[in-house]
Amino acid sequence: MDIIESKTWIEWVITIAKFGFCFVPVLYILLLIPMERRGAGFMQDRQGPNRSYIKIPYFGKIRLFGYVQNMCDGTKLFFKEQFAPAGVNRVLYRVAPAIPFAIVFLSPCVIPWFGPMVFEWGGQTVRIAGSIVDSDVGVLLLFGFSSLSAFGAMLAGWASKSKYSFLGALRTSSMTISYEVCLGLSMMGLLVLVGSFNLTDIVNWQEHHVWGIVAQPVAFFCFLIAAIAETGRAPFDVAEGEPELVAGYHTEYGAMQFGLFYMGEYSHICINSFLVATLFLGGYAVPFVTTETMQAHMGGTLAILCGVLAFLGLAFLHMIYRYSRKLKATNLTNRFEILREYQLYKIVAWIAVVVFIALGVSSWFFYDPSKFVVNGFAVGSLATAVGTALIHLLVLVVKSVFFCWVWIWVRWTLPRFRYDHVMHLGWKIILNIALINLVVTAVIAKLVGGN
Amino acid sequence: MRIIKQRPMDWVERLYIFEALRGLFTTLKHAARGLFRYETLPTISYPEGQPEVRNTYRAKHRLMLRPDGTPRCVACGMCAAACPAHCIFIEATASDDPRIEKKVKRFDIDHLTCVFCGLCAEACPVDALRMDTKKISFMHRTREDFVAHLEDLTNWDPKDYPDDEQSQVAPGGKKNAEALEVWGMEVK
Repeated sequence: MDIIESKTWIEWVITIAKFGFCFVPVLYILLLIPMERRGAGFMQDRQGPNRSYIKIPYFGKIRLFGYVQNMCDGTKLFFKEQFAPAGVNRVLYRVAPAIPFAIVFLSPCVIPWFGPMVFEWGGQTVRIAGSIVDSDVGVLLLFGFSSLSAFGAMLAGWASKSKYSFLGALRTSSMTISYEVCLGLSMMGLLVLVGSFNLTDIVNWQEHHVWGIVAQPVAFFCFLIAAIAETGRAPFDVAEGEPELVAGYHTEYGAMQFGLFYMGEYSHICINSFLVATLFLGGYAVPFVTTETMQAHMGGTLAILCGVLAFLGLAFLHMIYRYSRKLKATNLTNRFEILREYQLYKIVAWIAVVVFIALGVSSWFFYDPSKFVVNGFAVGSLATAVGTALIHLLVLVVKSVFFCWVWIWVRWTLPRFRYDHVMHLGWKIILNIALINLVVTAVIAKLVGGN
Repeated sequence: MRIIKQRPMDWVERLYIFEALRGLFTTLKHAARGLFRYETLPTISYPEGQPEVRNTYRAKHRLMLRPDGTPRCVACGMCAAACPAHCIFIEATASDDPRIEKKVKRFDIDHLTCVFCGLCAEACPVDALRMDTKKISFMHRTREDFVAHLEDLTNWDPKDYPDDEQSQVAPGGKKNAEALEVWGMEVK
């Protein structure tokens, strides 16, 4: 019981609630799939998938801007028959897809989702770390987890009893290993400056000095390229290069087993974009504002946040109204059906805008932590801490969504490299640049910083 | 044979990174177009939106009409002779009009066999057969329904061809009355 009594109940609640962050990569899959499919469509001047719909009363066919298509495809994948070709290693064949997907739930544990929450509770100061595991080897742990996903590919390639799968697995594992080296070495310069492997410390340093992208621009590019290569996405997707290897290591997989590989890949993107955002873009730190300033003016900060959200809602409404006007002028036979559907979005967006504005105005004028008392118990500093955490989380999400977009953007722009070119780039160019960057950083840090 | 000598890449291009950034900018422009100017995308959402078809496009056939509403076809069989797919079937009968020798009793075009080459319309000596209906989708339940008969081919509205004088001569057209006067004869 000692361990339970060592913390107050509110600490336990928050600590356990933090495990919910394990599901963030899975949620990101829901975001990334439509972003990838429609983004790819737009980049190629197509419309992207937009035909499926759900029928609801009054508003008619709801397409959710093509999102329903992804739900349909997911459902289809889920209910498809799972089969295994003759001659596969049954156990490994079944286990392999689960490995990359299981890692999805492990890797988010060291990422700091918000700054350490510090608040007064019943006369004592409580401090709760922003990551699930506040480890001093944070980055290394994360690298360890993300390179584990190569095991899934390796086992899949071995168990499938197919030459294509096996070659794909070989390529994946060799590429993961080579780019792990580049990934680790390119961020060493930043670690020299910060002097810690702890991700919370790294973000804290960036918040009080400069962002990693300013301090280490070369390292940022090396890291980004290595991170893209490590997820095995185009232009580095030689492992599943369809002109040569059909589909690489998951050639023999179908249905949800293929789906697990697919989701593993997407959540790997998610984790890596969180990592890039944390290491080089200040993580949860709000640009130009320190956490202390934010907490001192909590009401104003929340008001600005609500204002930004309301502005986004208005921008969305502008796009809807504009497109509705254009649609009315066309002679599509289903234009009134679509306009009826858009009415739903207009109603939802208008309600959101009004709610955000009301919240913003009220928090600007009426937010006063000293008045927050529940049953004679002051919870004002808890409210401030939770508000800060919320803003931090939102900022981190925005940054990481940007990097997710970079992943998709690069994939649909650059053609695939040849296998030897990938190895050449990894071992002879990026590794060398990263090493030189590390040496130069170390020398400058010694001369200037003197530590 | 023409040999095109490609300019060798200069050192900036060989660095790849700058050209890659240029490519990224291009795709970003296209993505922004899709997001902010969705209606300018060239895709037509087909069953609801129809593509724009010109009247020179070789679409479904129609038979032109005289001012009195009879088909202009004189059943000479030139179109059937010109047809490379042998999809036109004509039967002739004696015309009621003393000035004209024959008229069609049966005029069938099998659109499952038709290759839409347009040679029939070229071959027609009296400009009776045209392919300017702009109807490009053929959807029927049975194979028999794909065969267009005489009634089907002559069943068109002059209002759909406002710029074509020859179509306006037909019954219901703007020039029908004066044309009928020139034609001069009511056929029983």
